[in-house]
Amino acid sequence: MENRKLVIIPAFNESGSILKAVEDIREHAPDFDYVVINDCSTDDTLALCQKQGLNYVNLPVNLGIGGAVQTGYLYGCQYGYEVAVQFDGDGQHDAAYLGMMARTLLETKSDMVIGSRFIEKEGFQSSGIRRIGIRYFSGLLWVLTGKRVTDPTSGMRMVNREVMQIYAENYPKDYPEPESVMAILRMGKKVTEVPVVMKKRKEGISSIGGVKSIYYMIKVTLAILMERLRR
Amino acid sequence: MMTIKLQIVIGLAILVVFLILVNMIRRRSLELKYALSWFLVLCALFAFDCAPRLLIVVSEFLGIYAPVNMIFFLGFCFSLVIIFSLTVALSRMSNSVRTLDQMVALNEKRLQELETELKRYKKEEN
Repeated sequence: MENRKLVIIPAFNESGSILKAVEDIREHAPDFDYVVINDCSTDDTLALCQKQGLNYVNLPVNLGIGGAVQTGYLYGCQYGYEVAVQFDGDGQHDAAYLGMMARTLLETKSDMVIGSRFIEKEGFQSSGIRRIGIRYFSGLLWVLTGKRVTDPTSGMRMVNREVMQIYAENYPKDYPEPESVMAILRMGKKVTEVPVVMKKRKEGISSIGGVKSIYYMIKVTLAILMERLRR
Repeated sequence: MMTIKLQIVIGLAILVVFLILVNMIRRRSLELKYALSWFLVLCALFAFDCAPRLLIVVSEFLGIYAPVNMIFFLGFCFSLVIIFSLTVALSRMSNSVRTLDQMVALNEKRLQELETELKRYKKEEN
């Protein structure tokens, strides 16, 4: 059987950019299937999916990014995919990297491949204060696991079937990226990073900013420490 | 320390609250499981109402000067326990909702696929 690959596109009110993301995948990553997870959007994302005949799963209750992505992993397990990759629908990610990531996953026998902005330091590098936050999480992971992850907050992550199943069972609810990397590092899974260039988001705003960023730092730090205490 | 009149008023209030609780359980708007702790509170209050001396005895036993302080303290502790158990129940509930939500979404997807397959199958038969 061929190596079936799935792109998970979590979408909450992304009707302005979701089509572009899907076209990007069809054009630049044709050997990937995709599924849009509509996280109970309040705009016309659902109507757009229906009208355009996109492959979508519609969550009747809003779950937030973690729950939506987890639905994608559940879908991947249920439909027998070997590889799943998370891909944001807001125009930050570039589908042209997916093929390269899949090859890396196979060649290095990794369990997860992360598209990192900070290896070659090209493209949109996030604001200074955010970079400090990202470096902090990177350091925290290094102290706790001894592994280097330069971009633990990257949303562009490809995983194999084994990790897909782990995430289908357990995945953090909000701001899931650093915490879930920690979880599989603790299980002794191999995580590899590849350099990617990300764009500044075209549509929508980051879910992190202002008072929320304080909550973000505290919550993710605690979550990572808690993950260290498990097993 | 407490007039007989006040004792009767408080006793009646406890009785009313008790009846409200029973009625809510009867109409299934309150789970018996969660009502048990409130029944316990009512029993304790009723005991103190019938025998106010108990208050003094208990507070002396716990080494608290004024019985009223003991009421505040115990009430506060009890509230904390209830709030904590609520957050535990809420966590469990939100996990169940998440799982149910995801299963509903995936089943709906499956259903749509089966429908389109069925349509195609019927077309081929004709």
